[in-house]
Amino acid sequence: MKRLLLQLFAISSLLLLAAGAYGGSRPRYGGTVRILLHDRVLSIDPLGDEDRPAARDRMAALAFENLTQVDAQGRLRPGLATSWHADQAKRAWQFRLRLANFHDGTVLTAADVAASLAKSNPAWKYSAVDRQTVSIETPYTVQQMPELLALPRYAIVKRQADGNNPPILIGTGSYKLNQWQAGEHAQFTANEDYWGGRPFADSIEFQMGSSVREQLMDRQLGTYAATELSVDQIRNVEQNNQILTLSRPADLLALVFLQPDSGGRPGRKPVDARVRQALGLTINRAAISNVIFQRKAIAASGLLPQWLTGYEFMFSGATNIDRAKELRADAAAFVVISPIALAYDFADPLARLAAERIAVDAREAGIIIQPYAESHLYSKAARASINADAVLLRMPLQSLDPSVALAARIDDLGLPQESSAVILGATRPEDLLEIERKLLESNRVLPVAHVPQVLWLNNTAHNWQQDLNGGWNLDQLWMEGAR
Amino acid sequence: MLKTAKQRWLCGFVFFCVAIASAASQEATSFPAAATEFVQLIQSRAGSPSAVSVTFQNLSSLSPERLEALQNAIFNSFRNANVRVVKPEQAVAEVHITFSEDWQGYLLISGIQQGSSSQTVIKKLPRSQQAQSAHATALTIRKLAVWQQETPVLDFYQDNQNLLVLEPNQVAVYSMDSGQWRPRQTLGIPHQNPWPRDLRGRLEVHGGEINAFLPGARCSGKISPPSLDCRASDDPWPMGEGLVAFFSPRKNFFNGLLAGPSAGASVAPFFSGATWQSSDQHVWLFTGTDGHTRLFQNDLGTPTATFNGWGSTLAPVHSVCGSGWQVLTSSPADTTRPDSVQAIEISGHEALPVSAPVDLAGTVEALWTAGNYGQLVNGVLHSQQGKYEAFTLTVICNQ
Repeated sequence: MKRLLLQLFAISSLLLLAAGAYGGSRPRYGGTVRILLHDRVLSIDPLGDEDRPAARDRMAALAFENLTQVDAQGRLRPGLATSWHADQAKRAWQFRLRLANFHDGTVLTAADVAASLAKSNPAWKYSAVDRQTVSIETPYTVQQMPELLALPRYAIVKRQADGNNPPILIGTGSYKLNQWQAGEHAQFTANEDYWGGRPFADSIEFQMGSSVREQLMDRQLGTYAATELSVDQIRNVEQNNQILTLSRPADLLALVFLQPDSGGRPGRKPVDARVRQALGLTINRAAISNVIFQRKAIAASGLLPQWLTGYEFMFSGATNIDRAKELRADAAAFVVISPIALAYDFADPLARLAAERIAVDAREAGIIIQPYAESHLYSKAARASINADAVLLRMPLQSLDPSVALAARIDDLGLPQESSAVILGATRPEDLLEIERKLLESNRVLPVAHVPQVLWLNNTAHNWQQDLNGGWNLDQLWMEGAR
Repeated sequence: MLKTAKQRWLCGFVFFCVAIASAASQEATSFPAAATEFVQLIQSRAGSPSAVSVTFQNLSSLSPERLEALQNAIFNSFRNANVRVVKPEQAVAEVHITFSEDWQGYLLISGIQQGSSSQTVIKKLPRSQQAQSAHATALTIRKLAVWQQETPVLDFYQDNQNLLVLEPNQVAVYSMDSGQWRPRQTLGIPHQNPWPRDLRGRLEVHGGEINAFLPGARCSGKISPPSLDCRASDDPWPMGEGLVAFFSPRKNFFNGLLAGPSAGASVAPFFSGATWQSSDQHVWLFTGTDGHTRLFQNDLGTPTATFNGWGSTLAPVHSVCGSGWQVLTSSPADTTRPDSVQAIEISGHEALPVSAPVDLAGTVEALWTAGNYGQLVNGVLHSQQGKYEAFTLTVICNQ
């Protein structure tokens, strides 16, 4: 009997070993990690008005670091700062820096950090208390300063003047930017002197703007470690037993009206508030989530998803065509209701389908939506100059802290910044709920869906950590086959 | 044998049920306090109404039993606060409570309606740790937790009086006091260059003498009085009885050059190695950095077998079971999945698993043979909760 059990163990365990194939928990040094990015990034500057900020931030995180960081489980961790404290009012903060070097070999100082943060947020005061301590003073309470400083825009960057060219950007990160072909290709190489130890991979290469669909058809993905996919590509990949990871539905797909009710661009009229509200009541969010996003997305009624705040259900996202018709009729009695030009991202086929569906829904209440494709929606400067009345945007969730996430989302959506101070000072979840409610009341932003990020991973890539919000944590990444 | 196995399955099942029940009961006992606090918040926000109507809605994953316990706790809290719970038409305020949840825990959300004014109160309720699934198997490997901390542990040593924990920047010395380890001293490990990623270290204590090995550094000292002196060094690391090897100063592996009894011999670079004398045979096993584990028998010239798919960490253990020597090896996983450890015996040129894999809730960072006769293995686990745990593994024979 003992022998039989041993044999059974042997068979089952060998099967397990075979299934596990190659590997081990100890990371391997060496190798090149090749990643396909859907978007074309033109600049790696974390503060640049980039048209593809989400893709830019993914690359920039390799070269630039923040004072703090958030790990894959959402826990706050020290970054370039090893410790921090605040006064009772949480308006004066001090961060103690670790010993770290910039990629040019110079030592990171508090003065460097102060100069960098002053570019990130000029509204605050920064000073070097000593060589290793930086202080930040804010005109209002910031409850979650460490979480806020983990946002990509607060990355510590040394900007070296380069004549008439844009400044040279120098970071402290675990990888150095080695090659950069804007919109095409980027190569980062291991920083041998990184304070946290040399990273495992020798280099990480990004190929930008590749058509994943074509790659899937050509079955050439084997040479890549990872690539972004859209929800409609999941089925193809799943059928081939490939590894896919889906984040929580974190991105917000929202319709944003570009003109505020007052003080907008001269010559452009805002869409009437009643028409905006009526449009919000016509959108069949469930149909968009279930059909266009193939049940991978969740209908959105708030700016932040239910799984993050627990209170999104308190905002109504229900359709009510009768009420929408009433509101439209009410508006028509006072103003001429023109067709609404709705711009969507030309590079996102699902955004086109969603925009068309919104137009069909709106027609039921007599509202005419004219969807059209735009190539530059995400750069704020470009958005300010386009002729659309509204845009359909897909925004990443930048933080797992609700107050920081809401403040960042307001900034991304181009909503009034006055509420940021209130958000960052909020101490209770119900305060955030009220702020979000007020923001939604104006109907300048109509949430449509919370959408997950999808990643295809080669099974030779190890320790690729996808954060809950879809962010990538490549700090411990290593490749099988590397020596 | 079968009877024993059945008993173990039964024990496992009972343990599982007890664990689940215990987690549920812990959560349930925290409800009254949370409910009291929640009702106090409602009271203060609503101006202490004398009579309220209460309705509930559940949007959380709370089980019906826990939901009922929570509702009862809320009703009790209202009663204890001398607030009558009445029908809506008799109520001064209408309280609508929703049980919701976010990614971290549960939320109690109350909408309070008083005439035309409405207010919201939110109370967060941490989710108790899920009961760990008990794995009922014919266990032959027993794990015993020794120490846990937030910061990295590279290796450790313990005897009846002392616990020494090797960390990246120090050796922490603890003394046993009333059944608990109490901090006694920390001995710093100064170093010029940044440590490599996946930092590894080896701690050896013999007769009160401390020897700590880190990539490119070696520290020597004493437990009593505590002292430690560190210097840059490329001295080979002792890996266990009869195995000494040189460690790469800027990486996470041994470069393949052996020292000590096998001085002059070299093998492919490896993460972990083991050697033992079994009857008339000298056996070596090395987990190569290329993913292959190589078996050498009697000489280190050519491997007699190569195994694929093993984890990169292993340690031999001397037992009274089977041939007397087993190798405990980690599973082939990475930090995104929890590891397991399994016992393997070498028979001829074959490696036979002789235990079921034992699931560990994290990544096995180190396994080193310990004890006077190599009868136990010290290990370090980086748990899924982000903590570092020092533990020992022993092999228990099946009857």
